[in-house]
Amino acid sequence: MNLDFSQIVPYIPFILEGIGATLKFVSVSIVIGFILGTLLALCKVTKVPVLKPFADAYTSIFRGTPLILQLMIIYYAVPQLTGYDISAFISAVLAFGLNSAAYISEIIRGGIQAVEKGQTEAAEALGIPYRPMMAHIILPQAFKNILPAMMNEFITLTKESALVSTIGYLDLMRRAQVVGSDLYRNFEPLLFAGLIYWVMVFILTQFGRLLERRLRQSD
Amino acid sequence: MIKTENITKKFGKQTVLKNISTTIQHGEVVAVIGPSGSGKSTFLRCLNLLELPTEGKIWLNKQEITDPKQNKLAVRKHIGMVFQHFHLFPHMTVLDNVAYAPQKVKGISKQEAYQIATNLLAKVGLTDKEEAYPNRLSGGQKQRVAIARALAMEPEIMLFDEPTSALDPEMVKEVLDVMKDLANTGMTMVVVTHEMNFAKEVADRILFLDQGKLIEEADPSTFFQAPATERAKDFLDKVL
Repeated sequence: MNLDFSQIVPYIPFILEGIGATLKFVSVSIVIGFILGTLLALCKVTKVPVLKPFADAYTSIFRGTPLILQLMIIYYAVPQLTGYDISAFISAVLAFGLNSAAYISEIIRGGIQAVEKGQTEAAEALGIPYRPMMAHIILPQAFKNILPAMMNEFITLTKESALVSTIGYLDLMRRAQVVGSDLYRNFEPLLFAGLIYWVMVFILTQFGRLLERRLRQSD
Repeated sequence: MIKTENITKKFGKQTVLKNISTTIQHGEVVAVIGPSGSGKSTFLRCLNLLELPTEGKIWLNKQEITDPKQNKLAVRKHIGMVFQHFHLFPHMTVLDNVAYAPQKVKGISKQEAYQIATNLLAKVGLTDKEEAYPNRLSGGQKQRVAIARALAMEPEIMLFDEPTSALDPEMVKEVLDVMKDLANTGMTMVVVTHEMNFAKEVADRILFLDQGKLIEEADPSTFFQAPATERAKDFLDKVL
């Protein structure tokens, strides 16, 4: 066994900076994915025509093609088509946000449809308009039920974020690779990066459990 | 006052209600009875437009509420409804359940809404449950909260869709008592029920439905002692 972790010590600050880079674009992607996903889910359950086929087509496209392909198209094709030199960060946020919205919209749609029909009827019978009914009665119950699935999606997103290393964004993964080629030793930096990913996911999981427990107070 | 004129409701090819015409006067308590599948609940749900009649018209006071231009939500503000399975909002406390709609629908202040809610919960005997979540309540308590929630909108008419059918037997009385109190205040009520004693005691009029048709309409003493139709006689023989 030829392992020597002491060699990566000088590179540790460089790798750790990748945590910030990764978290920055993952959190922005989650926000985009969540907001867009919620809107798409509302389109899917509405009776207004056109919106549903649009949302279904959107989901079909973003779930039906590889994420790395979407990332490449945004990063390489946008400059070719428009002449606008899109940054790696913006590309990453767009690709992950738009992609994740497709998955999140399906999760939320399922959550909305799982809320008992009587809840809608009770709200309607009270004369509560659609928006407050969705915002205060249906969605809070839907979100509570789908929290585990949602945490799953966020965890997947956090890990899949390593794909952005392919467009040169200096995230955790890319930095581990850079260190690897600098040292001609790959195992140590990759293992170190792996540990950091695991810790991030672990913290996210704990946070999810905490949230679940808080939402369960009405049970 | 609520008036129906020849309302018919079809679900696909199935006709659930056939030409029902009746008038419920202000302050009247009407019990709707009949075998299951007779269309009682559908009739009730037409009254607040949870179901839209396929044909026919409904008036609330002078206004035709089945007019397609009519805003359904505006109509429902004046008509409270209590469901068999309560349908309380599980993520809100009892107090929030009652205070929510007046704020969102009538736009009254938070303070006023909570004052109304507190008073109503006192009336239905649930002051000590204000901060509880619905899942902590018994069926009877849930239904009393549901009644308070509907009353918080200060409706002109209250609709009850089998309000005691989902309850354990020993909880039926507490709900019926609240409904009796409500009837005594002069509230206009339409009650779909299997509680024949309640219908006999409290109702001013009985509507008997069978296979989607209103086949008998009478005051309770006439209906229970001398039903006019064979079908009603047969039904009463089985349930009494």
